[in-house]
Amino acid sequence: MGRDLFRYQGVVPVLAGLTFLTIAQAVLVILQAKWLAAALTRLFNGEAPAAVFSGMLLFFAALAGRYLTGFFKQKAAEHYSEKISAALRHDVLNKLFSLGPRYAQKEGTGRLVTLMIEGTSQFRTYLDLFLPKMINMMVLPAAIWLFVLWTDHTSGIILAVTLPVLLVFMVLLGLAARKKADSQWEGYQRLAGHFTDSLRGLETLTFLGRARSHKKQIEHVSEEYRKSTMNTLKVAFLSSFALDFFAMLSVATVAVFLGLGLVDGKMALLPALTVLILAPEYFLPVRELGTDYHATLNGQEAGRAMQEILEKPDWDLENQFKLQTWSDEATLSLSKVEAASLKKISFSVKGRKKIGIIGTSGAGKSTLIDILGGFLAADSGTISVNGQTVSHLHQADWQNQLTYIPQHPYIFGGTLADNIRFYKPDASNEEVRKAAEKAGLASFEDLLETEIGEGGRRLSGGQMQRIAAARAFLADRPILLLDEPTAHLDIETEAALKESMLPLFDDKLVFLATHRLHWMKEMDWIIVMEHGQIAETGTHTELLLKNGVYASLVQAARGDTHELAHSILKRA
Amino acid sequence: MNWLIPYLKEHKRLLAAVILLGSLTIFAASALLFSSGYLISKAASRPENLLMIYVPIVLVRTFGIMRSVSSYVERLMSHSLILKIVSRMRVRLYEAIRPQVSRFKTGDALGLFADDIEHLQDVYIKLIFPWLSALCVYALSITALGFFSVSFALVMGLYFFVFTVLVPLASLLVMKAKQMKQKEQRAAQYSRLADTVMGMGDWVFSGREKAFVASYEQAEKEWTRLESSKRSFARGRDLCLQLLAGAAVVTTMIWAGGQSADGQMAPILIAAFTLVLFPITEAFLPLSSAAEEWAGYSQSLGRLQTAEKEKPAAHFIQPVFGDDGLALQFRRVSFSYNESEPVLQHFNFSARAGEKIAVLGPSGAGKSTIMQLAEGLVSPQSGTVLVNGHEPDEYISREIAVLNQQPYLFNTTVMNNIRLGNPRATDEEVIEAAKKVHMHDYIQSLPDGYQTVMQETGSRFSGGERQRIALARILLQQTPIVILDEPTVGLDPITERRLIETVFDVLEGKTILWITHHLAGMEQMDRIVFLDGGQIQMDGTHEELVQQELRYQKLYELDMGIS
Repeated sequence: MGRDLFRYQGVVPVLAGLTFLTIAQAVLVILQAKWLAAALTRLFNGEAPAAVFSGMLLFFAALAGRYLTGFFKQKAAEHYSEKISAALRHDVLNKLFSLGPRYAQKEGTGRLVTLMIEGTSQFRTYLDLFLPKMINMMVLPAAIWLFVLWTDHTSGIILAVTLPVLLVFMVLLGLAARKKADSQWEGYQRLAGHFTDSLRGLETLTFLGRARSHKKQIEHVSEEYRKSTMNTLKVAFLSSFALDFFAMLSVATVAVFLGLGLVDGKMALLPALTVLILAPEYFLPVRELGTDYHATLNGQEAGRAMQEILEKPDWDLENQFKLQTWSDEATLSLSKVEAASLKKISFSVKGRKKIGIIGTSGAGKSTLIDILGGFLAADSGTISVNGQTVSHLHQADWQNQLTYIPQHPYIFGGTLADNIRFYKPDASNEEVRKAAEKAGLASFEDLLETEIGEGGRRLSGGQMQRIAAARAFLADRPILLLDEPTAHLDIETEAALKESMLPLFDDKLVFLATHRLHWMKEMDWIIVMEHGQIAETGTHTELLLKNGVYASLVQAARGDTHELAHSILKRA
Repeated sequence: MNWLIPYLKEHKRLLAAVILLGSLTIFAASALLFSSGYLISKAASRPENLLMIYVPIVLVRTFGIMRSVSSYVERLMSHSLILKIVSRMRVRLYEAIRPQVSRFKTGDALGLFADDIEHLQDVYIKLIFPWLSALCVYALSITALGFFSVSFALVMGLYFFVFTVLVPLASLLVMKAKQMKQKEQRAAQYSRLADTVMGMGDWVFSGREKAFVASYEQAEKEWTRLESSKRSFARGRDLCLQLLAGAAVVTTMIWAGGQSADGQMAPILIAAFTLVLFPITEAFLPLSSAAEEWAGYSQSLGRLQTAEKEKPAAHFIQPVFGDDGLALQFRRVSFSYNESEPVLQHFNFSARAGEKIAVLGPSGAGKSTIMQLAEGLVSPQSGTVLVNGHEPDEYISREIAVLNQQPYLFNTTVMNNIRLGNPRATDEEVIEAAKKVHMHDYIQSLPDGYQTVMQETGSRFSGGERQRIALARILLQQTPIVILDEPTVGLDPITERRLIETVFDVLEGKTILWITHHLAGMEQMDRIVFLDGGQIQMDGTHEELVQQELRYQKLYELDMGIS
């Protein structure tokens, strides 16, 4: 269970400290029992409570010491787990940035965010629950057992025999429960998720006219779920039942044998009472190990998932190239690049050009943008910039010259002005205002200091794109990457946005991936993608004349047999 | 509260059994130690005959077994009860939300309610059941003590009051503010981190990742500070409770010793009474830490309550009959979601049976509102909406089918998903529908064929394939009217074109209202209406509009990539 534990930094001194405190605690537990037994024996022998009061105080002092030690153990464990989980989160966060958006997309934003936030606190809880429990388990039963054995052999033997029996039963039943749960896992998951599924699809159910009758389905599935859960629980709870049962039986047996020993006169009341009080303490650590089992499991799982992210191979940053500001003489060429779905991509560009990347969904447009943005390394083939050959563009000098406009630009909670300033935090208000104006946000001028993003003013898709454009105007970097910037907008918004964006492309190296054909006429050169390969390249007119993939895309968009389109085309 | 209490009343017997067993577990644990203490003390008095300690010996074993058995049965029963309650809650919540589905923008927002119910399970298992059992034991033990000594019973009553009521309540109050604040911070962190992960490209290019990490860590530190102060409170509280338990033990010893010295009680009972305190206080201790979670539960409760409160009043339908042969009719319809922004104003529109009409217009022009009005999901503030001559009623799904942007595919087999359109459809009919939408071969090629289970929200299929499955579903629904609400958004032109071809192919002969903002395929439509500013701006065939309307012509050119 705790094998991963030793991987965490600085865990050894913490474990050592906890062990030391636990040994002290063991002594206090024994003293507490002994002094309680002593006080009780003296009372039993007829001494007045007032006379025994100092004895009682001793008991109380031992008890106080015991729990005070526990208090410090917990504090130490919590302190450590807080520190280590914060460090882990920090490392993972940095690693995520280094792995880049492609990895985040693959893993799912939701999952990663939950892991970072929930996972960190689960991991923290796991550590601060598990560390003291583990040490308790190793120290307390052994110490108590030694003392009991020394006091009374019979009781010592009973305790020694029960613990392994108990553990064996617990493990066996635990395994049986898991086997049972695993065997019906899939069906079980579906039952468990049925209600959430129903709520999420409620609109569809309504359209299908099934919403009303679906209530019965929910009742039925909930009942099925209850039955199958109860079946699993019957077995699952047996494991803790075995623990309880054997522990209780063992305490009862110890009591009986102590009683017999007392009747025979082989034993005095004081040691007998001491042993009786200690017997439940002997089982306590094992029983505590079982509680919060799920919290422990989740935390362990979260810790492992985070470690896995940290162990992902990082970018090879040895081979970083130097790059001056992208000029008309600069060149970029890809030669036989293969990565993810891309096959043998070769092309080269020189200077500041507008390059369109077009193709159906799944043709590899976004993957190519990922390569160009330096989010994905080539599995084979080479990329060279000004003759310097590398396997990926995760290069500081390259990425620092890029602006990126995706389909859903990143808008954070803050003022509109701050959002525009994103790439250039020290830009003056005047600069921001100018950039906003260029991006067609002139009507927003009074709103530059308004809060937008989460919690603030809601923005439409077109407005978000305009903010991204304003950002790019302000950053004024020589290379621009756009990934499907307008496909989700209505045509008029799209047209207006296009108008504002076109000046942004001037004098830059632009890569624009889209399936919206109207952009292509503005491009100097077009890369047509199909099935992960470059199908053809050329200008709009050249490609139309080729009558290849591009021409068929254009035709599909226009409708196959449409004369009107042709007539307008002629006029244009 | 009306999400918690009624269920307890409803399952009175089961609840009573759970509480009884819970109390029995505590009782058996106490009785085990009581009888052990008694047994040993009795044995120490060296009785002549072994039989003298025979009864306590039997009792010790009995209580030992009883404790574990009753604890096992109690856990099973309480889980069974909770699952029953959950299933009732689900039905109730579902019924509350069902009529107001149009209020929620995304399915995910609805899915959150399911989490709230999951969350409420804990309030029963961790707080309500153990607390009621503890109160039960509290009452019984103090009453029993009362027979020995009223004054001592009162003192113990006070101790137990602190354990079961005072400290849990104090925990609740102290933690509440902190927990609320933490929740707030958590929510902010969630959206911030989600935004960042999605906008990661921007952060990397801007070269400002380090700045983000630093500022995020700062926010986390704030949260951690609260968490630490919560934990240190809990730690201190638990220590105090342990000390208090120790004090209770000492008090009991003094009392029992005194009673024995006065000859009012046999000395063999001293140890028995004293030892009982341990299992009882052990049962009381977890109540305080359970109570501190209350703030979280009360938030879930609050959300469920609002979901129910906003249930709209029942809508009474008066039969209104319109012109014959009109499948859809909007007469001077006005509608707005909020008063400042009217969506439709005195909107007039009608569709003849069998007509294929495209509804165009910029986003926010009210195109989807037309669909919601026809479906009866929302009611107009003034004017009349008629479907086949009457207002939309609860059987509207027999007349209108909807294919929207994101049809939901349920986490069940492909067969079941398609069959949702008509539960009485045979397998053959389902397969026939799949063939029509050109999905049959693909589905057959999957290892499990029609029995293939959708993965999470249908991610197994691509956008175009999902729409086709939903289309097959609609075919089985066999309605005379079909509304297509932007089903091709986000699809590339070729996929879009093919899907649209299939749609019009299989829906031949039906009245079709196609809401879209693209102009691909307009030439196939009988009529095109262009909506803007809550009213129809243009109305005519594609050819008419191209020739007569400059705005339409410009749009068309833009969309075709011609200009």
